[in-house]
Amino acid sequence: MLETLRTDLTSWEIGPYHGALPGPMRMKLRIDGEIIISTDLETGFLHRGLEKAFELHPWPATVAYADHLDPEAAFFGELALCLAVEEISGLDCPPRAQAIRVLLSELSRISAHLGYIVKVGRAVGAETLIHYVLRDREKILDLFELLSGARYSLNFLRFGGVAADVTEGFIERVLEVAELLRARLKEYNDLFTFNHSFLLRTAGVGVITRELALQSGLTGPNARAAGLAFDARKAHPYIGFDKLDFEVPVGRGEAGRLGDAHDRFLVRLRELSQSLEILKDVAETVPEGEFSRMRIDRDFEVPNGESYARVESSRGLLGCHVVSDGGRFPARVQFRVPTSANLTLLPEIVRGLAIEDLPVVIASLDLCLAEADR
Amino acid sequence: MSALPPENSWIAFLANSSDLAAALPTWLLAALGLVFIYGAIILPSGAIMSYLDRKLSADFQARVGPNRAGPAGMLQPLADLLKLLQKEASSAEWNWREALWLGVHTMALYSTVAVIPLSSSALLVNTDMSAFLPLWAALVLALGTMLLGFSQGSVPGWFGGVRVAAQALAGAFPALIAVICAGIHAGEFRWSTLAGAQTASPLTWTALCDPFQFIAFVVFVLGGLVMLAVPPMDAALSTQDIHGGVSSHLFGRRLSLFRLGRFYGFFLWSVIAVVIFLGAWTLPFGLAELLREQGRLWLVLALEVGWLLAKTFVLMLLVISFARVSPRGRVDQVTDFSWKVLSPFALLALIGTALWSGWGYLP
Repeated sequence: MLETLRTDLTSWEIGPYHGALPGPMRMKLRIDGEIIISTDLETGFLHRGLEKAFELHPWPATVAYADHLDPEAAFFGELALCLAVEEISGLDCPPRAQAIRVLLSELSRISAHLGYIVKVGRAVGAETLIHYVLRDREKILDLFELLSGARYSLNFLRFGGVAADVTEGFIERVLEVAELLRARLKEYNDLFTFNHSFLLRTAGVGVITRELALQSGLTGPNARAAGLAFDARKAHPYIGFDKLDFEVPVGRGEAGRLGDAHDRFLVRLRELSQSLEILKDVAETVPEGEFSRMRIDRDFEVPNGESYARVESSRGLLGCHVVSDGGRFPARVQFRVPTSANLTLLPEIVRGLAIEDLPVVIASLDLCLAEADR
Repeated sequence: MSALPPENSWIAFLANSSDLAAALPTWLLAALGLVFIYGAIILPSGAIMSYLDRKLSADFQARVGPNRAGPAGMLQPLADLLKLLQKEASSAEWNWREALWLGVHTMALYSTVAVIPLSSSALLVNTDMSAFLPLWAALVLALGTMLLGFSQGSVPGWFGGVRVAAQALAGAFPALIAVICAGIHAGEFRWSTLAGAQTASPLTWTALCDPFQFIAFVVFVLGGLVMLAVPPMDAALSTQDIHGGVSSHLFGRRLSLFRLGRFYGFFLWSVIAVVIFLGAWTLPFGLAELLREQGRLWLVLALEVGWLLAKTFVLMLLVISFARVSPRGRVDQVTDFSWKVLSPFALLALIGTALWSGWGYLP
């Protein structure tokens, strides 16, 4: 009887559309029973020619394209582009605009990390948490709407400042939301973070070792969960992060092993509370003054040159390389996105896991195919 | 049919109720009764539970829930059913194996309608082994679901099928032991005896009368969740990795049939849990005796069924609200839980119950 049982490997193709995937991509799995033996990744389904699109539009119009790099945290693309362009043009950003940028950067980070909690909650089937967190993320999207009129693609930054001064009551509401979220974070932790079933699903699952993180060029919360304390806000300070007092949380392997899915979740929760501190500090001391150095019109020209700007997006190091030939259009705009490194190490870390762990690992990496495929 | 005690059987009850019913043959009466139970008790229970589940979960989760169909969204289950019935399977994907196994598992499952104990005067099959029938029903459901999955010829179907079987086997053992514990306490596995061992007072309910029975009750409920793959033990039907396993290929009428079957399994299990452990249908304040003396048998029947269903709904809602918060377990964790946690507790309850009940008889 046993000799006649088929025990060979099975192929299973997931995607391009599947509930467990963060966006359109294809995974070709070889599985032995429920254990994943190998994974082939195919991406590029969301390629929109975004970098080429930059070259086809005058400088002021490129900001709106930078929004589309990562729809879940659109602000970081804008910020990287503006910083790079400001470096070539020698524009400096007035202090009030810098403070507004810091506020937006941290609000975006919080919004993206709340979205991350939702993804992980969905992957393990914790429905109540999803609704609680989405309810709170709405508050941040409301703030974006109050400020810029848009909830996702803000299109709010301009070279040398921001598009408008803050709306009346915005700063007060930022402080209120920060206060509310601080209380809610505790609630999430009580409900979920150290829940026994959640620990069972995430502790020791999808471990990224420090070596693997270094080899693949991993950055952001995933790398910090693996023990690499790199944060572009500390290593290459921009928009005044060097004057702010905050910590960079690093994974400690509390629940299982260092760099597992639970560490990645915890590091993001700790970053949330750090971002709330930053919000509070900055919102209480927004300087008076102008919000933009100059009005950028469609004839705006960037002098001949190139520059590279780094920002710490919610997913990791986001770099923007801008080349200008001195005209009204960019000669080349390139992005270095954090998701690419995650995609390269994904097959490595899911090897040997059960297929039921696959959605949890994918969710815990916080992949964004929009920015990887661009 | 000779095994039926006529005073408990609802056939006798029906036959005595009018001249017309007395003139009908027994088989026809039995068939009509079963259709009535299915149509008037099980289907509406499904609708009520799905509404309560969605509305209460919405309240827990800071959202609104169904609010469009009918007053406060009460007609939503009906609207859902009508929508699913309209959908037709495309003939290009007609899979006769799937249709066959879905049919077999549905028929086998609903054959248990005949054995559901609903009130002291609504028992059709009341033998000395009745209490094991729901276990049989759950295993049949698992077998049918497994074969349904295998017949689909897809990876989600295979995994879903295997996981359903693994969970059913893992959950069956502790659940079986828990039923035996209750039987030892009551003295027999007859519905009427199991229910008769309890009164309306919660202190006399089997689950609360001694600590070992309480363990047995918890094991019975959790074992049922594992067996029937009810959330949060629903790794077999997980949507994230295998798109709902066996149900990934079902849609329209077949999907509604499958979902109703799953609900029925959970419902049956909860009814049995209430009958065996939570005081069954015994009405408070001696109402049943009072009304029987006045000859109002129909009222007794209605009140007993209503009381039993009310307790069942509360039990189901407790399980569901727990499931809404708790993350879904991985299938190996679920079966591990059943074999390594529930089973030892079940055996402990068995030994404890045997000692507790047999103490006076020991030399």
